[in-house]
Amino acid sequence: MSDPLLRVERVSKSYGDEQVLREISFEMDRGDVTVLIGPSGSGKSTMLRCVNRLTEVDSGEIYLDGERVTGPDVDVNELRRQVGMVFQDFNLFAHLTARGNVMLGPRQVLGLSKEEARRRADEQLALVGLADQADSYPAELSGGQKQRVGIARALAMEPKLMLFDEPTSALDPELIGEVLEVMRDLVERGMTMLVVTHEMSFARSVASEIMFLDGGRIVERGPPEQLFERPEHDRTATFLRRITQLHS
Amino acid sequence: MTGVELPPIALQQASDWAFVWENSGYLFAGTALTIALTVASVLLGFFVGFPAGVVEVYGGRASRGLVETVGVVLRGTPIVVILIFMYFVFPTPDLTIGVLGVTASLSGAFLAGVLGLGLRSAAYQSQIFRGALQSVDEGQMEAARSIGMDKLASIRHVVVPQALRRSVPGFQNEVTIVLKDTSVVFAIGLAELLTRSYDLFVVRTTAVLEILLFASAIYFVLTFTTNRALDLVSARYAIPGGESA
Ligand SMILES: Nc1ncnc2c1ncn2[C@@H]1O[C@H](COP(=O)(O)OP(=O)(O)O)[C@@H](O)[C@H]1O
Ligand SMILES: [Mg+2]
Repeated sequence: MSDPLLRVERVSKSYGDEQVLREISFEMDRGDVTVLIGPSGSGKSTMLRCVNRLTEVDSGEIYLDGERVTGPDVDVNELRRQVGMVFQDFNLFAHLTARGNVMLGPRQVLGLSKEEARRRADEQLALVGLADQADSYPAELSGGQKQRVGIARALAMEPKLMLFDEPTSALDPELIGEVLEVMRDLVERGMTMLVVTHEMSFARSVASEIMFLDGGRIVERGPPEQLFERPEHDRTATFLRRITQLHS
Repeated sequence: MTGVELPPIALQQASDWAFVWENSGYLFAGTALTIALTVASVLLGFFVGFPAGVVEVYGGRASRGLVETVGVVLRGTPIVVILIFMYFVFPTPDLTIGVLGVTASLSGAFLAGVLGLGLRSAAYQSQIFRGALQSVDEGQMEAARSIGMDKLASIRHVVVPQALRRSVPGFQNEVTIVLKDTSVVFAIGLAELLTRSYDLFVVRTTAVLEILLFASAIYFVLTFTTNRALDLVSARYAIPGGESA
C-alpha cells in the first residue's frame, strides 16, 4: 500500500480569538517516527489531540490508513482504539493496579475475556519491564514506572499509531532514561509514532522527521541532521540551541 | 410554701431512671422506627441521588436543568412541608408487600415519611456525589476516552469508582442528618424515638433529663456504629498508596 498511515491536511484550530493551528499539513508512513518540537503554547498538544479527536478540528481533514477520521459520522471510539496516546502526567487510572490499568481497554473496548485481557496485560507489562509491578497501584509506582504502565496501557489496544505528548516532561531526570528506552524498543518494533518531546538526543537518534512548530505553523521540517546541522530559519536555530542547552 | 413534698433529689432521680427503664420497650419500638426510616430514606436517597449527581455533571443541558431545579426546590423546602405534602396532598396508600412468604404491612404514613425524607436526602446526596465526581481529575476521563471507551463506560469504570471513595465522608454526614431528621415524622402522626421521648416526659416532667439522656445515648450509638461501619468500608476500599495517578 502506498497510502500514508497518517495524513493531516490543512488542519486549523482556534480557541476564541487565538488561532492555535494554522493549516497544518503533514504525512506519516508506517514505521515513521515524527517528532514535534516547539515552544510552549505553539499547538503541539492540540495537534496530537486532533488526531484522536480529543479535540475537534475547525477545518481541514485527517486520514488514518486512508480513512477520514474527521467528520461527524466517524465512530470516535473505533478511531481511538487504533490510536494510542501517552500523556505528560500519565493519567493512570488511580483506583486500578498496573495490570488493571492495562486490562481495562481490552476488557471493555475489545471485549476480551478476563483471562485473555489479563494475559495481554501481563505481556505488555513485561515488554515495558514491569512484570514484577503488575499488582502495584499507581501511587505506589515511581514516575518512570507510571509512564511505562501508561505506554503498556496504550499498546494493549494494538494501535496502528502511537501519540506521545511530552512523555518525560513530568519526570525526575534520573527516571527519563527508562521511559526513552521503552520508546526506543517500540521504534525498533516498527511502531509508527508521533512524539512531542524536548529530549533532543532521543529525537536525533530515532526521528525520521522533526517538525518545528511555532505560532500554530510548521516553521521548518526535515530529517534530524538537517534541522540540527543546517536549520533554514533563525527561529529554529535559536529554539534548538536553547532547548539543547536546557537539557544538557 | 406548702404543697407536695418532693422526695430528696437523689431518690427522685432514681425513680425517674426507673420510669425510663419501665418505658424502655416503648422507646426501643420508637428506635426501631427511627432505624427503619433512616435506612429506607438513605437508600432511596442514594439510588435517586447518585444518578442525579451523575446527570448534574455529565448530563445534557435539559436533563441537567431538570435535575438541578428539582434539587433546589427539595433543598429549599422545610422537611415538615415536604412530609405533609407527601402525606396529605398526595396520600400514599397503605401497602402490604410479600417477599418469599414473609409479608409486611407498610402504613401510608411510613411510606410518605420515607418518600419525603428519602427524596430530600437524594437532593443533598446528589450534591455530595456531584462534588466527588467533579473532584476526579479530568485526565482520568481523557485517558479512558483515549483507549476507546465511550462516555458511559468511562464514567462507570473510571470516574465513579474513584468518586464513590471520595463520597464517604459526605455520606457519613448525610446519614447522621437523616437519622436525626426522622423525628419530624411526628407531623404525619408517626412516633419514632424522639416523639416517644417527648410523649414520656410530658407524662413525667421530672424525668425530662433522664429521658433525653437515654434517647441521646441511643442516637449516639446509632451514629457511632454507622460512622464506624462506613469508616471500615472506606478503609477496605482505600486505594493502596493513595489517590495520585
Ligand atoms: N481547551 C482549551 N481551551 C482554550 N485554550 C486552549 C485549550 N487547549 C489549548 N489552548 C491554548 O492553545 C494554545 C496551544 O496549546 P497547546 O496545544 O497545549 O500547546 P503546546 O502543547 O505546544 O504547549 C495555548 O495558548 C493554550 O492556552
Ligand atoms: Mg503541550
